[in-house]
Amino acid sequence: MKKLFIVVAALGAQAAAFAQSPSPASSPNDVEVLRQQVQALTETVKALQQQVKEQQDTLAKMSPEPGALPANQTTAASPPPAASAPPLFPTSDQSVVASAPAPAPPAAPVNGAFPTTDASVTTSTETISSTGAGASLTAPITIAGGGKTYMNISFDGQFSLAYSSDRNLAQLETGDHDPQQRGFSARNLELALDGAVDPYFEGFANIVFKLNNDNETEIEVEEAFMQTTDLPWGLQVRGGQFFSAFGRINPTHPHTWDFADDSLVHGRFLGSDGLRGVGAQISWTVPVSWYSQFIFGVQNGRGNTGYSFRNPGDNGVFYGRLTTDREARGLQDFVYVPRWENSVDLSPTQTVLAGVSGAFGSNETGANARTQIYGVDLLYKWKSPRAEGGFPFVKWQSEAMYRRFEAGRGVDDLFPVAETFHDWGMYSQIIWGFKKGWTAGLRGDYLHMQDSAFTNDPDRQSRSRVSGDMTWYPTEFSKIRLQYNHDFLEANDFLAAGEADSLFLQFEFILGAHGAHKF
Amino acid sequence: MKKIKLLCGSGALFAALLLSAQAKINVVATLPDYGSIAREIGGANAEVTVLAKPTEDPHFVDARPSFVVKLRQADVLIDGGAELEIGWLPPLLQNARNPKVEAGQPGRVEASEGIRLMEVPAQLTRAAGDVHAMGNPHFMVDPIIAKAVAQHIANAFAAVDPAHAADYQANEKKFEATINAKLQEWGAKLLPYRGQSLVAYHDSWVYFAHRFGFNVNIFLEPKPGIPPSPSHLAEVIAQMKAQKIKAIIVEPYHNRKIAEKVAESTGAKVVDFAQFPGALPDTDTYVKLIDALVNRLAAALK
Repeated sequence: MKKLFIVVAALGAQAAAFAQSPSPASSPNDVEVLRQQVQALTETVKALQQQVKEQQDTLAKMSPEPGALPANQTTAASPPPAASAPPLFPTSDQSVVASAPAPAPPAAPVNGAFPTTDASVTTSTETISSTGAGASLTAPITIAGGGKTYMNISFDGQFSLAYSSDRNLAQLETGDHDPQQRGFSARNLELALDGAVDPYFEGFANIVFKLNNDNETEIEVEEAFMQTTDLPWGLQVRGGQFFSAFGRINPTHPHTWDFADDSLVHGRFLGSDGLRGVGAQISWTVPVSWYSQFIFGVQNGRGNTGYSFRNPGDNGVFYGRLTTDREARGLQDFVYVPRWENSVDLSPTQTVLAGVSGAFGSNETGANARTQIYGVDLLYKWKSPRAEGGFPFVKWQSEAMYRRFEAGRGVDDLFPVAETFHDWGMYSQIIWGFKKGWTAGLRGDYLHMQDSAFTNDPDRQSRSRVSGDMTWYPTEFSKIRLQYNHDFLEANDFLAAGEADSLFLQFEFILGAHGAHKF
Repeated sequence: MKKIKLLCGSGALFAALLLSAQAKINVVATLPDYGSIAREIGGANAEVTVLAKPTEDPHFVDARPSFVVKLRQADVLIDGGAELEIGWLPPLLQNARNPKVEAGQPGRVEASEGIRLMEVPAQLTRAAGDVHAMGNPHFMVDPIIAKAVAQHIANAFAAVDPAHAADYQANEKKFEATINAKLQEWGAKLLPYRGQSLVAYHDSWVYFAHRFGFNVNIFLEPKPGIPPSPSHLAEVIAQMKAQKIKAIIVEPYHNRKIAEKVAESTGAKVVDFAQFPGALPDTDTYVKLIDALVNRLAAALK
């Protein structure tokens, strides 16, 4: 640009001088003079060009590139209109072009020197900061990616087509988002929002719509919470409605699961909807050389989402007892969820994550009945050093839980006995991402519910299950999964033994900007 | 009194010197190309850690918990800032809780800031495959852009560690001079093939092509991130034959067999390219990587 301006100015000056000289009618001599003058002019321009180029090279060597830094750009991008009004008005202006230049080969090297600067690679437009600092509050919210929005908004639709030899699929499956009936189910249509609230907080919300077996719409505020971003010493505080940090499956949403349904132990101990509720949580990353984090949460634990805790049960009955369904009497009625997790890399391609969790609170089957759940979890993952799209990989995940449940005599003290159940269960699953977009999985489940001569609740049946599935992810925004389950139900004092075969075809899509998932 | 003051002053100075002598700045780079340049600029004053492996797909890196530890201890974080790492960096930063490397802080370098990205989609639709909303984020293979990023990194280092600001600026000047000299060599080596067309597996070479005068408009992937289909490959083969294209560029994590099949039926050569230093043998620095790319391409087109 500068070069052009100088050349043009030089031309203008020459032309002015030329115009002022007397020019009588043309004669052969005059033509010759003219020719010589034009030739001289051309030489001058060439010399000037060379001079400008040399000066620029020296400048480039001495100082940073023009436009190498955002701060320097205004000078390089748009020079003011030339004051001396050159005869040639610029007919192009790179600074007004918003989009990238066409990837055409740059000008051929001059005098054998390869250009070492290129003003077209830098931009003068300010990059919009993702923190939102300095952004106008009156600007409209645009719903698009590109880091130019105030929040991520996405919709996730998950559906399944199911067949089972058991007519009561809703009882056989332990999760509320699992296939619920023979035929089609739509149990997880999820609107997810997240973004920075201000420089101090970020906010998340997951609103789940689901269709029941009569195709009526149900809505559930699965999560809605804010958490700090700016606390010192590795601390973070969260408040709102959220999934308790217990084990691997509980804090995650069903669309991230590796199988179409919930594990038996999670569904029967932490509940078909997972352990979640309104509360607060603090976490601390321990300043040691490996990854180590303590998490401690306090929640109401009331209702069906506090399944083993202050859960009034269906029609006011839980495990055969008439429940109390009371207001919190004191601190003993909240659910306390501590967790400690640690992770190390065994090698550049292998990672292990291990955690211990607990959940402690009271339950509604008696005046002073309490529940304790303990869990351990282990995750091992291998990923190829030449992974494409995240494949191939092997992921092995296991969780075991033990629950001590004090079942009282009910609100009316009429239940014949008070019992303490010692229940335990576990699952172990291995997922093999064998080629880009394809995974195969195998899962084993076991659930041991202590026998009782007084409780005929079908949820207290001991059982086991093997599952196999194959999933195709056309991209990370869609998936199609085929899964087979074989269930073994064990006989107890009230319920007969049984077996069931089930087949699920699950399909899912995600629209919009969906927040990235944790490890 | 004066003496005591002087003593105190020199003592404080000495302590400060001692402190600065032992305090290396902790630098985390998401990708190996930023890491390589950070090492050149940081020299002995910076401890540089790179998260992604040079051979793996930078779009899909696992958000390993050990990365959280590295980010928690970082004084400077260098990332692309153009959504290449969007699938794994945000949850890491959320968990690391390190205010020093938040966006907008002096300790955060978003390399694409101030760079004019190419191929910015006019319309955002995932029907076009895995397009990046802010433009093509594979910009570091243009050495002129790398110089701008080096300047950006040097400024951040100087802001975070003012005691060594002069060192960082000097190292940056050295890097710039090396690139300027090397550009002559690279440009001369590729000059005979200027204007030729190449085929790439993934659309990650537009900046390299722009710099050295190649056309890379045909890809084995039908759309970014979508695996090659037989019908698309047939089309590519026909185009390659019509345009007499001599080279197919693949990266370490791509399916080389597919490229080999296409090469077999067109007579072209498969050229192993990489975006990241360390992914090809003897390319542990940025300059050596571009050296390797230029030499490999020149050899294939000869």
